[in-house]
Amino acid sequence: MPELFHAMMKEEWRVHSTMFGSLSFALFPVMIFGIAFMGAFLLPLMRSNLPAGNLTVIVHASYLMLGIMVGGFGLLGNEVMNRRFGQASLLAYSARSLPLSEQFIFTNFVVKDTVYYFFLWVLPFGSGYILASPFIGVPVTDALLLPLTLTLAFLFGLCGIFILSTIYARSKTALFVSLAIFIAGWAGMSIFTGENPALFFPPLLLNHAFSWTNFLLSCMVLALLFGIAIALFNPESVGSEKKYRNAFASLVKRLSFLPNPPLAAKDTLDLQRSGSLVGQTIFSFLLPLCIIWFFLALLGPYFPPHGLLFIFAITTGVIASTMYTWVTMFDNFGPYACLPVAVSTLIESKLTTFAILQLVPAIFIAIVAVFAGEAAYALPAVVLCLAVSFYAVTVMAWLSGLSPSVLVYDVKVLATYLVLVGIVLTVFTAVSFAGGYYALSSVVLAVPSWLFLQKAKARWDAVDPAGF
Amino acid sequence: MTIVLEARNLKKTYGDVQAVNDVTLSVAEGALFGLLGPNGSGKTTMIKMLTGQIRPTGGSASVLGIDVIKDPVGVRNQVGIIPEQETPPSFLSAMEYLHFVAAVRKIPDIEKKADWWFDFLDFADKKDVLCKDLSRGTRQKLMFTQAFIHEPALALIDEPLINFDPIMQDLVKEYLVGYVKKGRTIFISTHILEVAEEICSGIAILHKGSLLHTGPVAEIVAGNEHLSSFFLSLVRKDRHA
Repeated sequence: MPELFHAMMKEEWRVHSTMFGSLSFALFPVMIFGIAFMGAFLLPLMRSNLPAGNLTVIVHASYLMLGIMVGGFGLLGNEVMNRRFGQASLLAYSARSLPLSEQFIFTNFVVKDTVYYFFLWVLPFGSGYILASPFIGVPVTDALLLPLTLTLAFLFGLCGIFILSTIYARSKTALFVSLAIFIAGWAGMSIFTGENPALFFPPLLLNHAFSWTNFLLSCMVLALLFGIAIALFNPESVGSEKKYRNAFASLVKRLSFLPNPPLAAKDTLDLQRSGSLVGQTIFSFLLPLCIIWFFLALLGPYFPPHGLLFIFAITTGVIASTMYTWVTMFDNFGPYACLPVAVSTLIESKLTTFAILQLVPAIFIAIVAVFAGEAAYALPAVVLCLAVSFYAVTVMAWLSGLSPSVLVYDVKVLATYLVLVGIVLTVFTAVSFAGGYYALSSVVLAVPSWLFLQKAKARWDAVDPAGF
Repeated sequence: MTIVLEARNLKKTYGDVQAVNDVTLSVAEGALFGLLGPNGSGKTTMIKMLTGQIRPTGGSASVLGIDVIKDPVGVRNQVGIIPEQETPPSFLSAMEYLHFVAAVRKIPDIEKKADWWFDFLDFADKKDVLCKDLSRGTRQKLMFTQAFIHEPALALIDEPLINFDPIMQDLVKEYLVGYVKKGRTIFISTHILEVAEEICSGIAILHKGSLLHTGPVAEIVAGNEHLSSFFLSLVRKDRHA
């Protein structure tokens, strides 16, 4: 175990440093530290409008969200990962050549990923806050507690989605039964207590009132979830042959209204046959957003009228922009290198498929608006959500080309992304808070989105396609 | 004699590594040209540059009269390519992949052409199987098919016989020889010298990124020397130089 784990840790480092250099990767946690450190100095200002407890909710919700976004390990089929990293022979696929079981290798892989996320995100953020605490009047004991509860929030998100994704990989029916039980429990808690169930999130409870019993109980729940997920993990069977009748030709005809019908048809079949379309929609979109809704609802009283819907539309837009990683995870440029296809054409086609996927957030926000009793604002909320999503994705395409999942850990890429997207989010949050229908003005984001797309195409055509 | 492929002082560096160093060579129409060299000599890098997959650090090259730096997609539109490592997309079946290639290359009557290739390379029973579930040999058959299905004037192949069993190797060699007899050109890269001696009309030998020799195979064999001994003495001499 230690040897394999150590080798996987080194491998992960090299995957990133090969793409953009060791320094850029090493500086990533430094940047997260800096953001937390400097952000902490804003707390005294924010406290005048928002009680400290609510700020804690936001930070914990963010880390829960991070865990949810990265925890879908159960969806990792060997082939998907192989295509994502080109022809790289990663240790995760060494079960066929080493006397180690798939389960054992997979456990190491998940633990390695978790440790990386901890050192890249959780620890630097907590450290930044701890270091800033003496300057902003936060007691050191409170400051020390935050990294611990944030770690738990992250692990709850990760383990929760890990177990659900492994259930999904085994049986879709079992997943829907599990989700039904979860939703019933959530609703029951809400009815019996009369409170938002998000308030009972264990890391939040611990942050408000720490007790060793509750802490150990939380750890035991996490260990149980993780253990069950590992036991349920179903390695992709080797040697089986899946057969399909030619669906490609008819699909190309049906998608002939799009700019690159063959490429769009291929992406569609990739998503459909890998199970990613349903899996990612549930685990990387619907579930995180439903949970975020409950956390944001806690802050409702501090938003202007209709503010909750618009802040949720913006959040959904940002999450929806990550659908670009769904369509880029199946292949790098390699399989197209023998065909007359430019990288820019490929980026364009991936964004076309992405555009089709945007039906999901559009419908989702419209439904949320109706259920929240804000049907009158459904249109501006949908427009805002899509405008943010398209803007964020074109920035992502410009910065990371066809490798968003890898290049996001380049400190230069992430810093530029945060600035460019952050400014737009701030402006349109303010605009939509000023008046619900003002959110329609977000259509102007079409202009910078188009410019970033042109820049993305020119930039990535001018460099050799990345690979390992 | 029409030159269909020309490299002039072609260079490629990766950081401190000089993968290809000042290589100049040309290939005439109708040739079956072999690029030979030990592992790591720069053969794959040469093919990648000649097909516009990567940009040269220096020099220039044209393929079928098209500048590979100015119009890499134009080059790939005209030629057939079998890369060394790449495999077809995972979640398309073999038949769907050929439809995909046909749609991108705008090849008519793909169904008929694909069926001919499935029969010729003896993998018709696999045409509905997802590419990710195909054996390595069958994937190679599929990659071979996609490179030749549009009958390009020039095909560039990295290690053409790798993963094929002896029967298939024989069939493919025969096909390649027949293909150039129709006036088309093939550029292969290989380190299997027996194959090169058997089917190539001209060769170039690369070692550590530099060109050691280029010329007709007939000239070497005429001196009662096998290509393998000629190659080995040349490379060993260069290694000790």
